[in-house]
Amino acid sequence: MRAPHVGTVLAERPPVPWFEVHSENYFADGGPAMAALDRIRADYPISLHGVGLSLGSTDPLDTGHLAKLARLANRVEPARISEHLCWSSVNGRHFNDLLPLPYTPEALDHVCARVSAAQDYLRREILVENVSSYLTFPESTIPECEFVAAVAARTGCRLLVDVNNIYVNARNHGIDADAYLAAIPPAMVAEIHLAGFDASGPCLVDTHGAPVAPEVWSLYERALERYGRVPTLIEWDTDIPDFAVLQREAATAQSYLDACLAVAA
Amino acid sequence: MPSLRERQTRFASALLAGDDNGDRNERIAIYRNSVRANYRKALGATYRVVSLLVGEPFFHAAADAYVHATASTGGDLNVYGGSFGEFLATYPHAQDLPYLPDVARLEWAIDGAGRAADADSSPEAIVDALAKIPAERITALGFALDPSCRLLRSPYPVLRIWQVHQPDFAGDMVVAFDAPADHLRVCREGGVVVVERVTPGDFALLQSLADGGDLATALDAAVAAEADFDLGSSLRKCIANRTFTELRGE
Repeated sequence: MRAPHVGTVLAERPPVPWFEVHSENYFADGGPAMAALDRIRADYPISLHGVGLSLGSTDPLDTGHLAKLARLANRVEPARISEHLCWSSVNGRHFNDLLPLPYTPEALDHVCARVSAAQDYLRREILVENVSSYLTFPESTIPECEFVAAVAARTGCRLLVDVNNIYVNARNHGIDADAYLAAIPPAMVAEIHLAGFDASGPCLVDTHGAPVAPEVWSLYERALERYGRVPTLIEWDTDIPDFAVLQREAATAQSYLDACLAVAA
Repeated sequence: MPSLRERQTRFASALLAGDDNGDRNERIAIYRNSVRANYRKALGATYRVVSLLVGEPFFHAAADAYVHATASTGGDLNVYGGSFGEFLATYPHAQDLPYLPDVARLEWAIDGAGRAADADSSPEAIVDALAKIPAERITALGFALDPSCRLLRSPYPVLRIWQVHQPDFAGDMVVAFDAPADHLRVCREGGVVVVERVTPGDFALLQSLADGGDLATALDAAVAAEADFDLGSSLRKCIANRTFTELRGE
């Protein structure tokens, strides 16, 4: 849920099973945005989705950032807390973006230590999300899907599987998206993200600014066949449309989830 | 094979470097553009009026230069950009817009006031507490200001500039630059950030109290700023509109 929709949600109380917010957007000490979040939380479960913890960074883990996340978690008692399998900062400088990791044994050890440290600090399981990437590193030796699964296996964290990011990376780097899905054990998957990408440049870019593509819906259907009925979120963060447009996308996701239940039954 | 730290350091250098040619650099450029767009968007949301005053191309160039000069040091983009006003004061291309830094400072104050801690304040409780203090001890007291309270003084009519650029403003957009200096109090009232022009005396009083001064010191500052300053009416106003949250030094 982004700021432009807060008023709509408070006024109309739409029949949505849960909302997700960017954790950092609610790091404030107080004020009207925090009060609005409290009012939404009174009626809906909330998931916290972080974009700034910089889990993969080789700089020291930012305990000030973790402290604010812990304070927020205390306030909203979120259903899930997630972060990204990426890095954002080095040598004290933040880029405030989701930057790709090389998939090496060293990076895996490092990220696992950081995920464990974050879980220890928060005293709860977190989810980590696979990110879109637009380049690969020559030193990478581990397939991304194996890297992602290994982080969950070694730290006990669970996975937020972004099906759009898998599709984007599959197209950008010639990966087999179905093999990627198959490499992730279903028990690790606690949430799914769907979003739209931009195909106008030299590679697909995960903009969160468009409807979910038909190929991604189809991959989502196969993800549900494998993982079961996993809570699913539509992300839309740029050129944010009316709430009704998002509700239609969410309804499409729900129809896939319902179909999945029918098959299981 | 580069270590993870070497890889991240190299990647950071490439992000900070200018645009280049070649396939790999073209891919780096996707990240560079994304990073740049994030900061432009974040700064543009905070500094909406500055952006309207200079236009988007100028604002983007200024934002890019600011980001280059002022590294973000945290993962919360909402609190980045507090020194943009100071940056604009020295930005060569903004020198013929001398009021621009103060407009930026006002927008930052409004932004911060919206994020500040909630305070429980009761005008009645402060009045009751004051009534119990012996008269000779009153001047040794201080007042805690609401956490959202920000004070801004400018030789330019920044409040008027800000007001005529609000989305719901209707009417004459003329700004009189021969107006007296602006003394502004930015504070949340009932969950809404309010910007209010106060007298030079009120401003000096609040500034002194915010700096931890007692009432005697604050009164000296207020009288120096405004010869016929009326302490009683100033205190009543600040208690009633909840600028003061509690007595200090009881």
